[in-house]
Amino acid sequence: MTENTLSKRNWIAGVIVVMALAVLPFVLSKFGRTGEYWIWVTTEMLINGLFALSLNLILGYGGMVSFGHAAFFGVGAYTVALLMKKAGVSMVPALAAAPVAAAIAAAVIGWFCVRLIGLYFAILTLAFSQLLYMVVFQWYTFTGGDDGIHGIPRLAFLDPVNYYLLCLAIFVVCFLLMRMIVNSSFGLTIRSIRENMERAKFIGVNVRRFQWYNFIIAGSFAGLAGGLLTELNRFAQTEFLHWSKSAEPILASLVGGMFSLAGPAIGAAVLMFLKIVLQQFHQALVEIWAIVLGLVLLVVVLFAPDGMIGFFQRMHGKSDA
Amino acid sequence: MAEKILRIENLSKSFEGTQVFNNISFVIEKGELSSIIGPNGAGKTTLFNLITGYHIPDQGRVIFKGQDIAGIQPHRIVRLGIARAFQRTNIFPKMTVLENVVAAVISRQRRNLNLVSPFRNNKAAEERAYEILENVELADMAHRQSGILAHGNQKRLDIAVALALDPELLLLDEPTAGMSPEERKHTVQLVKRLWETLHITMVFIEHDMDIVFGISQKVRVLCYRTILAEGTPAEISANEQVIEAYLGEEV
Ligand SMILES: Nc1ncnc2c1ncn2[C@@H]1O[C@H](COP(=O)(O)OP(=O)(O)OP(=O)(O)O)[C@@H](O)[C@H]1O
Ligand SMILES: [Mg+2]
Repeated sequence: MTENTLSKRNWIAGVIVVMALAVLPFVLSKFGRTGEYWIWVTTEMLINGLFALSLNLILGYGGMVSFGHAAFFGVGAYTVALLMKKAGVSMVPALAAAPVAAAIAAAVIGWFCVRLIGLYFAILTLAFSQLLYMVVFQWYTFTGGDDGIHGIPRLAFLDPVNYYLLCLAIFVVCFLLMRMIVNSSFGLTIRSIRENMERAKFIGVNVRRFQWYNFIIAGSFAGLAGGLLTELNRFAQTEFLHWSKSAEPILASLVGGMFSLAGPAIGAAVLMFLKIVLQQFHQALVEIWAIVLGLVLLVVVLFAPDGMIGFFQRMHGKSDA
Repeated sequence: MAEKILRIENLSKSFEGTQVFNNISFVIEKGELSSIIGPNGAGKTTLFNLITGYHIPDQGRVIFKGQDIAGIQPHRIVRLGIARAFQRTNIFPKMTVLENVVAAVISRQRRNLNLVSPFRNNKAAEERAYEILENVELADMAHRQSGILAHGNQKRLDIAVALALDPELLLLDEPTAGMSPEERKHTVQLVKRLWETLHITMVFIEHDMDIVFGISQKVRVLCYRTILAEGTPAEISANEQVIEAYLGEEV
């Protein structure tokens, strides 16, 4: 019934948005250097959007607040950097290895973290990610320490427009995969754990095990995002693992809306856009980014507690699907 | 002699040094509809918590179909065939009534690990869920958000979620708690009907004597840290000790 028409409308909206996004770089490339800069920005928006979506699998759908999601972003990033720069692996297998390496890291870290809940879970994820950050920072010979790894090769045909399109294609595929996961029986199980962990046990769900699986899945998507950013920048650096990188997708999910699939990606793009507009306005204004961000969050928490998506849904009188 | 589905043997439990009960033993026969009564804080819920793996007993065994299940994790005990509904309603509040039950059916089908097909396409699960919702008279509310239902409906949904697990032993912790007298009567009849149609073993905890004596085949009185008495409703209502310890103060 209405659910069907709603999902049909979502599909049409999605196709239109993707088509518009596919045309965007060709339009932007007409605008010289400014256009090129914005192609780079929108590519990074897609990547950060993917990163935010990946966190939201555990945050919005799983109800697990992680402060250390950058660990998996970083593992993906360094996997691509090390494989391409040091092992001479080409881009496609390197990018394919990123989510695998991140999944392995998430399996190890998650195995410990899911034993805790709430704030303790959050703190442990933070601790592990900081540990990883320190290892990468200190292990100069392998990771380049705080210099990072630079000069990652780029295939000739991957000009900014093509790389943007590659990221868009990967983003869309990942979005559809995540959509499939949250709508699956597994997705319902994860939601039931978020809603009532105790009751979930008493319907026969091995709660820890499912939280662990979900953590691994989220980590692997984050790893892919990290790999894509490394290839975009042609370097990997310790910032990718920093705790502030873990905060980004949390803020994006808050702003965009963590109870919808697309919300976190929209939030990520909006926050990046705000920051850049501020920067373009006056370089010094970046200094007050924290204040602007604080104000944005204040507005969100006060007027749109379920984020932009939730806000628009309420404006249109639609219930959360 | 009838088959014994559950044997409680020398079970003891204390919290921070205070003993809830000491060395209790009893046996539940397969297919029986029995009840447990006792004053507030007697340890009735704790007994269910021990049977379902929520707590680990200090001592003693809980033997379900010949296997000692004391201390096994709750989700494993569910898989063995014991389900429960809770004293304080315990549902998935932001999900619809149907989704609550479907989540349990899917767990019972062991489909939780299916990452690919939408749970809404699982027609078998949906049909089963509707069947159960019919049984507890909630089918017409299937698409409502469960957390905003009236209290009585939430209590019945809690029972529906437990039923969706196809238990052999169903434990109902005060299924009529917080209901109006009318609703109580209705729910009791519903419990009775479920028992008659589903042929499962049921144990319920209840405060209301009329309810207990009206539908139970067997009544167990939990009081003074032990099973004070056990028998048919007629035997219990004639039991001197019970009258003194429990019924007396109620009247
Ligand atoms: N997890 C716990 N930690 C500490 N004490 C507990 C715990 N659970 C129960 N108790 C205590 O054990 C005793 C028995 O509690 P229980 O909930 O089993 O009683 P009950 O018979 O179900 O009571 P009611 O009729 O009020 O539901 C109470 O004194 C209670 O305070
Ligand atoms: Mg109780």
